[in-house]
Amino acid sequence: MHQKFSICFISFFFLFFFMLMNLFMMIYFIISNLTIMIEWEIISFNSISIVMSILLDWMSLLFMMFVLLISSSVIYWKKSYMSSEINLNRFIILVIMFVLSMILLIISPNIISILLGWDGLGLISYCLVIYYQNVKSYNAGMLTALSNRIGDVMILMVIAWMLNYGSWNYIYYLMFMKNDFFMNVISIMIILAAMTKSAQIPFSSWLPAAMAAPTPVSALVHSSTLVTAGVYLLIRFNLLLEDMFMLKILLLFSGLTMMMAGISANYEYDLKKIIALSTLSQLGLMMSILSMGYGDLAFFHLLTHAMFKALLFMCAGVLIHMMNDNQDIRMMGGLSIFIPVTSLCFNISNMALCGIPFLAGFYSKDLILEVTMMSNLNMMVLYLYYFSTGLTMFYTIRLMMYLMINDFNLMSVYNLYDEDYIMLKSMMILLFMSLISGSMLSWMIFCYPYMIFMSLNMKLMVIYVSLMGGMMGWLVSKMNIYSVNKFLMMYNLNMFFTLMWFMPNLSVYGFNYYILSFSKNLYKNIDMGWSELFSGYGMFNLIKNYSLISMIYQMNNFKIYLFSFVFWMLLIMLMILV
Amino acid sequence: MLFMINSNKMFFFFTLFFSTLISISSNSWLGCWIGLEINLLSFIPLITSPNNLLNSEASLKYFLTQSIAPINFLFSILLKLLMLNFFFHDLFSIMINSSLLMKMGSIPFHFWFPNIMEGLSWLNCFILMTWQKISPLILLSYYMNINFISIIMIFNCIIGVIGSFNQNSIRKLMAFSSINNLGWMMSSLMISESIWKLFFFLYSFLIMIMCIMSYLINIFFINQLFNINLNFFFKISIMINFLSLGGLPPLLGFFSKWMIINFLIMNNMFLITFFFIMSSLIMIFVYIRIIYSSLLSYSFKFKWFKNFIKYNYIMIINFFSLISLSGMIFSTFFFI
Repeated sequence: MHQKFSICFISFFFLFFFMLMNLFMMIYFIISNLTIMIEWEIISFNSISIVMSILLDWMSLLFMMFVLLISSSVIYWKKSYMSSEINLNRFIILVIMFVLSMILLIISPNIISILLGWDGLGLISYCLVIYYQNVKSYNAGMLTALSNRIGDVMILMVIAWMLNYGSWNYIYYLMFMKNDFFMNVISIMIILAAMTKSAQIPFSSWLPAAMAAPTPVSALVHSSTLVTAGVYLLIRFNLLLEDMFMLKILLLFSGLTMMMAGISANYEYDLKKIIALSTLSQLGLMMSILSMGYGDLAFFHLLTHAMFKALLFMCAGVLIHMMNDNQDIRMMGGLSIFIPVTSLCFNISNMALCGIPFLAGFYSKDLILEVTMMSNLNMMVLYLYYFSTGLTMFYTIRLMMYLMINDFNLMSVYNLYDEDYIMLKSMMILLFMSLISGSMLSWMIFCYPYMIFMSLNMKLMVIYVSLMGGMMGWLVSKMNIYSVNKFLMMYNLNMFFTLMWFMPNLSVYGFNYYILSFSKNLYKNIDMGWSELFSGYGMFNLIKNYSLISMIYQMNNFKIYLFSFVFWMLLIMLMILV
Repeated sequence: MLFMINSNKMFFFFTLFFSTLISISSNSWLGCWIGLEINLLSFIPLITSPNNLLNSEASLKYFLTQSIAPINFLFSILLKLLMLNFFFHDLFSIMINSSLLMKMGSIPFHFWFPNIMEGLSWLNCFILMTWQKISPLILLSYYMNINFISIIMIFNCIIGVIGSFNQNSIRKLMAFSSINNLGWMMSSLMISESIWKLFFFLYSFLIMIMCIMSYLINIFFINQLFNINLNFFFKISIMINFLSLGGLPPLLGFFSKWMIINFLIMNNMFLITFFFIMSSLIMIFVYIRIIYSSLLSYSFKFKWFKNFIKYNYIMIINFFSLISLSGMIFSTFFFI
């Protein structure tokens, strides 16, 4: 009895139950076009009211439903994946707190409660990244936490700026205060916060580093919770951000992120890092379509992407489990023969990622690309979009060729099993969702379909770049030991691409070096030098010497004291008399 | 306590208290002088004891200084009476103030004060540090030369700090700390008498706790604190009361200093405030030096050494420590 209901199963049950509740509520809210806002005024002073408010509309309910679905299936899956973990309870509690803080972020239209959820995400993601306690995890966790800290600070500053308006319910001021200068400052800060959370270009080095976390956490973080928080925040602020100059900069950065992640994924051999970089690429896609003003498309892609990305990570977790905790894709190969069901899930989610027709990714990605093609853009942004689409196909095909086709390279004696039904069951839920969620959502959340009108070649452009990318991926996967030498011909360029355009150096090594050496100089010259001489030790010596002198006076003959007193009185009397 | 059973001492206590009252409530300078003299003559029998040579020495020194000061006081008031027509108020006031400063042991005539403290028992030290200062301070407030006294109180603070910095004897240290507090008292006297009352009351209260505690465990030097077997609460009481005496913010001793600082700043006396605050910073360092090494860091526990303190004294100490710990918070309720 005690064994039967493990903590994983109980958490799964409740999360799934809430997911179903959210699902029905969401359908009801969509049908009746309903929005419910609940407010509880905590304190009110000097015409400023701090309220805890909850916003329930179809968007928050739908997102919550997806978060709960993914987290419930991940937790169920975790029962097998983390079965030999000692501190399983702690892990589950951390994950549930993570989900709760994400939900707090989703349902709050108030910037203070958003900060609560936001900070909760940052803190617990740190705890989860350092869960395997080694130096690499600590470094990755610190990088994650500090990068996210920038966003936290931005949100804090937004709170300070929003004091002007007397309330922190930003949702009321989005339209009304749009031309206010303060609101522009706020929107810039919000964009910066979202860029840190969604790992856009200056801040993107933490995302592959956060792969040090356990795989279920990666599945959760990269699909629906942590990294999508920034996108969700910007979707909520979308009304404010329209026609802003900052948004164009965001468009450029997110497009570059998309391309950077796509290129870097091709250089990577770590299974989880490839998937993380593909997440980064898709985040760039969401951000860029968002910054063109299509918040609903970004949301659509966010949801579908959440489904197949969670599935992809879960499959990766299964593979890592089987591969003797090995993540190198060069060691894998020929898996489709040994583990057909897991390979099925893996391939379907990968295909959905590339946008193969009628899978989940197709509906959102194709729509985004066609809307991009129809809108008024310059060539560079268009190239970024389409090049990245090709790159997605490129690394996906490469990954599939490495994993599915070649010979198994890890050990000569091996026994792969595909009968871990706990994992498979939870993956089946997400497999189903990543098959149907694209079409389901496209029918559900758009009131009327997007009208796409373009010439045949423009329409087929997506297919051209995809085919080209797939071709390239196939060719790259054929690479053998002799062609590695070809990389050495352009060593610097390859290093540039492999190290994510030197992004880690920007946020870790380059930054730390100057700050730490400056700090060392300060410590040496001020703390151990002048400051010690003039404040602590020097002052002590000074007073001690004065004290010694005063002691010498104290040791005088008693007669002299009395005489000096009398002498003083006489002196003053003389001054009176004279 | 000990003096309660001795009828002679009770008599001299009576005259000691009433002489002070005579001097502060008389309406002529001569009456003040009479009060001072009676005060001296009743304090000397209190501090002498036939068994202790140091006490006799201290009483002799006390007699000498305290007789010279009132003589000069008498001389100057008579001079002032004679020369009433002349216009030398500044110098007269300096003369009278100087004799009073000598009487209460302030800068620059403070040299007798630590020496005599060294020879007294803790309870006499308490009387010397608190009660014996009432009449000179009140008389000072009647005829005060502000410029002269401002300089004097700054120097009081500085010398009090510097003298107590290297001190090993706790009695001498308390003497210098009393000199330091004398500066605060004079400044409060300069502002208003009610603040002086508050400050003096709180100061005597804290000094009383310190003296009673030191009397109970019979310590005169800092190094005695190292090898004394004290229970935890007694140590904590010593610590709290030292910090409170130094004026650490949440404690009671800060309250009086806070008021004085507030009024000094309101009256634009920034330089004096600066010196006061800086000196009390170093004073806190001195107190912490006592507490830190002896009560927090190092202590020996001797198996053969038992420090017995009566239970009711512990109760009193704990009650006083409670007041000195949270008195400021309690006292804020009076002002609501």
